[in-house]
Amino acid sequence: MSKQVNLTIDNQAVTAAEGALIVDAAKKVGINIPVFCYHPKLEPAGMCRMCLVEIGRPVIDRATGAPVMEGGKPKLQFGPKLETSCTTPVSEGMVVITNSEKVKAARKDVVEFLLTSHPLDCPVCDKGGECPLQNLTLAHGPATSRFLFNEKNHNAKHVPLGDLIYLDRERCIQCGRCVRFQEKIAGDPVIGFYNRGRQMEIVTFSEPGFDSYFSGNTTDICPVGALTSADFRFGARPWEMKATASICTHCAVGCNLAFNVRREVGGKNGSPSKGGIVIKRALPRQNEAVNELWICDKGRFAYQYSESPTRLATPLVRKDGELTPASWDVALEYAAEGLLGESKPGQAKDLLVIGSGRLANEDLFTLRKLAEGAGGQAALYSQSGGGDLLAQVGAAPGTNLASLGKGSVILVVASDLHEEAPIWFLRVKQAAERGATLIVAAGRPTRLDRYAKYVIRYAYGEEAQIVAALGDSPRRAELVEAAKPAAAAKPAAAAKLVEAAKPAAAAKTVEAAKPAAAARLVEAAEAFGKAENALVFFGSDGLGQSGAQSVAQACAQLLAATRHVGRPNNGLIPVWGRANEQGGWELGLKAANLQTALQASTTAYIVAADPYGDDPSLPAPSFLVVQELFLTETARRADVVFPAQAFTERDGSFTSGERRVQRYYPATPALADCRPDYAISAELGQHLGLKLEGRSAAAIFAQIATEIPAYKGLTYRRLAETTNATAIGAAKDPRDAEERRCADLYYSGAGYENTQGLGVQLPLQTLSPALSKPAAAPAAQLSKTGLLAVPVTQLYDLGQTVLPSALLRQRIGEAWVGVNPADAAEAGIEAGAAPAAIVQVVLPGKPEWRAAARIDERTPRGVLLIPRSMGLPLNAPLPGASIRPVVRRDSQEAASQQPA
Amino acid sequence: MMMLKDTYSAEIEATLAKYPPENKRAAVMPLLHLAQRENGYVTKSALYEIADLCGVAVTEVASIMGFYTLYHDQPGGKYRLQVCTDLPCALRGANEFLEQLCANVGVKVGETTADGMITIEAVTCLAGCNKAPMFQVQTGEGLEYYENQTVESAVALINDLVKR
Amino acid sequence: MPDVLRGVKIAATAVREVARGLNMTFRSMFEKPVTISYPEEKRPVRARFRGRHDLNRYENGLEKCIGCALCAAACPADAIFVEAGENTDEQRFSPGERYARVYEINMLRCIFCGYCEDACPTEAIVLGDNYELSFTDRRNAIYTKEMLLKPVPAGGQPTPQTTPPGVYTRSVPAMNNPSD
Repeated sequence: MSKQVNLTIDNQAVTAAEGALIVDAAKKVGINIPVFCYHPKLEPAGMCRMCLVEIGRPVIDRATGAPVMEGGKPKLQFGPKLETSCTTPVSEGMVVITNSEKVKAARKDVVEFLLTSHPLDCPVCDKGGECPLQNLTLAHGPATSRFLFNEKNHNAKHVPLGDLIYLDRERCIQCGRCVRFQEKIAGDPVIGFYNRGRQMEIVTFSEPGFDSYFSGNTTDICPVGALTSADFRFGARPWEMKATASICTHCAVGCNLAFNVRREVGGKNGSPSKGGIVIKRALPRQNEAVNELWICDKGRFAYQYSESPTRLATPLVRKDGELTPASWDVALEYAAEGLLGESKPGQAKDLLVIGSGRLANEDLFTLRKLAEGAGGQAALYSQSGGGDLLAQVGAAPGTNLASLGKGSVILVVASDLHEEAPIWFLRVKQAAERGATLIVAAGRPTRLDRYAKYVIRYAYGEEAQIVAALGDSPRRAELVEAAKPAAAAKPAAAAKLVEAAKPAAAAKTVEAAKPAAAARLVEAAEAFGKAENALVFFGSDGLGQSGAQSVAQACAQLLAATRHVGRPNNGLIPVWGRANEQGGWELGLKAANLQTALQASTTAYIVAADPYGDDPSLPAPSFLVVQELFLTETARRADVVFPAQAFTERDGSFTSGERRVQRYYPATPALADCRPDYAISAELGQHLGLKLEGRSAAAIFAQIATEIPAYKGLTYRRLAETTNATAIGAAKDPRDAEERRCADLYYSGAGYENTQGLGVQLPLQTLSPALSKPAAAPAAQLSKTGLLAVPVTQLYDLGQTVLPSALLRQRIGEAWVGVNPADAAEAGIEAGAAPAAIVQVVLPGKPEWRAAARIDERTPRGVLLIPRSMGLPLNAPLPGASIRPVVRRDSQEAASQQPA
Repeated sequence: MMMLKDTYSAEIEATLAKYPPENKRAAVMPLLHLAQRENGYVTKSALYEIADLCGVAVTEVASIMGFYTLYHDQPGGKYRLQVCTDLPCALRGANEFLEQLCANVGVKVGETTADGMITIEAVTCLAGCNKAPMFQVQTGEGLEYYENQTVESAVALINDLVKR
Repeated sequence: MPDVLRGVKIAATAVREVARGLNMTFRSMFEKPVTISYPEEKRPVRARFRGRHDLNRYENGLEKCIGCALCAAACPADAIFVEAGENTDEQRFSPGERYARVYEINMLRCIFCGYCEDACPTEAIVLGDNYELSFTDRRNAIYTKEMLLKPVPAGGQPTPQTTPPGVYTRSVPAMNNPSD
């Protein structure tokens, strides 16, 4: 606990942490000082002057240093003018007056000034009804304006800042919350002020406009209706909507969402709802341990897949080679018969059940039960691995990235967090800015490098070795030895793959940098070993299943060896590609090599996964049952297709990468004949002669709680618990977080409030002794012929859950492949051409693929970066790739003359 | 398109060399001046180029350019004649002066003469209140102050400038 | 004698009274009747009568309603339902950016309190003088925008209109001073 300071606010004695701002201290005792520009997550700016108060400070006798007394009380010195309470920290003996006539008059005048050019078009404004300016004008403003109405500045009212956000220049009160958010919190200064004074306006010059994954958050924090989202434009008035708690399904962070819903007649985007309940917008729901107040734009806009008109609505059964609609009874009967085949119930050894991380814990549990009961195998559909280790070395309960600061180390291995899990990117970045030591080990430059103290480069395939080297001092000594100029002749493998450099001055000459790089690795390793707390993130940048498995293994050993296990704010956090992959691992499903697994089985039941879309070369089972939202490539090959409910239509729970179990609730009624995944699986189980619980998600969760040790004692009610401790505030000292908590928020209206559950982190098992021994991870044996194609993740991809969102589709861009300039030159591809050159990518055993070449130094030599889900299925690094130039599509004629 | 790098490579090098490599952003303002020397205003492509040279976001460069009134984002005359019309100057007749000057030159405030030589602008505080009406002339090289002006003296100056 | 006299008095009174009554009857036979033969004939309503709503248009035919849903918010009976849409210059329904894509009033719920009229920032919705609200089906009680909108005034264009850019930028008509 930091030093406490006593002061008086409006005759109330207040105790606040040293360094706290008056506005926060007042909030704590229930005195609301009106603010516009101040936001507890942002650095104070003092731009709007709304928070002016009278401040008196005790007069100090210079000779003695003691307060001067007057009539038994300390003598106070009031400033001649009012001061901004949002920029002034509290001090001992301070007296603050927030309700004097002088203060009230000042507020009145400030509002009058702010409204000099405000259009007062509240009836058509999307913010109207949840607008701080509206509320504070009503509370503190004058009834009339002395300014001439005709002299208002009339500015553009419809300025698209990119495709997602609209700006109304007239409404802007120049508080700068959006600009400061983008600069300080998102680290993406793509919007800025232009001009000054009354002419000041918000502009963007990025390509495309307002090019940030976090742009939607600016509409939430805008205290007026200046920034509004294109998605919600004129969608509904805030008071007409109800909020339903949900969890984002797009990555392993598990951001808390609130869906605002209402009844509609018209339906939007051709959605099927006529007079039914539709989702009008998705907002972040405050959870200080998960997403604070933010969500990324994917989470905000991509939920729209759940209301896509292409959703499957009825069960389909293959009849005469065609998938034809059928009743549930017929489809279930047919599916059960087909899955069983010749074998007796309970002995269907050839049955393979595949579920993906898009499913809830309840669904995955039911799938496992079904596979076990039927006698078959259950697998988790995942391109990553290592989840089995997390029960021992995962993030310990009580872990909160917001509490990491000085003395903590965060290691990010093989992950471009900005693309894979944007909210973790934000929080890791902020931890680094609070003083945590950030170590980024990646095969290529990532956005996080900028905030890292140590950047470690490795060659793709050698991730696990680098991680092992961090925990293994003899090996580090070897590295230093190897990097010494004198030892240059020694072909030390490690030396050539380590190139660490301070991010600001990225060393250009690799040769010269080597000793320094090795030294940095040693420094990084020492920092990691000595750290009070250490968190490790591992992702899937350039990794396949086995690669991820060995990286996870190395990370687990590193954490175990440095004793960063089992304490809050320590442990391993996997950056899974889907929301509930962790739940899959926890519930006993394992990622399997589908090539061999499918080879070994004759029947398959695939749920919420599209393996044939991702890899058409997989062997086909003789009978295939698919349970999906859309008619995917896999569903097209199926004998029976069951239509499932989207996550917005049902309840369930997810387990996030931090092993936090969180609950979500149904927001809209189910589409047509769709059923929840667990119910379909349970019924299918019944047709297979099994007794499976399928009546409700809560009932299944109760079963999970009794059968799975990690979930012991958890109930839906427990997951729905919230506490008052919603700490608001970008606490500079993490220990101050508690001081700045306040349930009443600074942003009247917007749906941050969390009343439906903060989730519960799973406890850890005791560490198995095998993990404590550091073991050298073998380098992945990648052949050196040709280029190495590695899969990387891009946030907006061509996945089924992104495409239906009309807004995000514009941001996806064309298929691309990352190429190093030297490799491009060798292949005869012109760099720096605009538009980018189109190349033909040739991978052994894969269909040929055309993509725009991104030729720059961000791609290491000898490597091709292939984005996942952008057209070329690639699940693991693949050597022997090559590229060759193709004439740009625009000139069709020329292209057709090219040899195919 | 003409790039700054092609025209002023030496000067860009020299400017960048003045600042430590991790503070390249310090070079934004000198480079904006350089870009403005070329056309009398900063083109959009120059913004992108400067952002690239200094390693800052282009929106930040634009914000800096937008903040300072001596950078222009619109083409103007070769000489920009900027008359201060703040309250003290207005009390000393700056508004009438500006009006008459414009009428004499034949343009409106903010417009450029047909020959592309002179743009007349109204600006705020040039710190010459006691000698108003006054204005400054912004040229490619720098600023010149003219104080205690009359319409006649201003018109004479304009004629001079056009001949320069 | 007094008996005879009293008899005559009574008879005279009776005749007088009957004559008075018949006079009234005959007089009223020639008076204009107060009843009207509804529905052929209709009585004019009072100036402040509150009947079925109308959605007004501007003289040029643009709808006054901007779809702000303040009427729906003000409605104590929850009888009004509004969904807004966005105007473009190619497809303009009302001035400004926003218009009512769906506008419905359930006349079975409406209590004709007139709060909607009070809440309307553009004087788009007004309670008219139409009191003929009878339905044979509950669903017919829901009046849609098409039923509520006034006909296009002479010289105006029907909506959606194509309008020149930059003209209809304000949703709420220009006020001299918001305090007015």
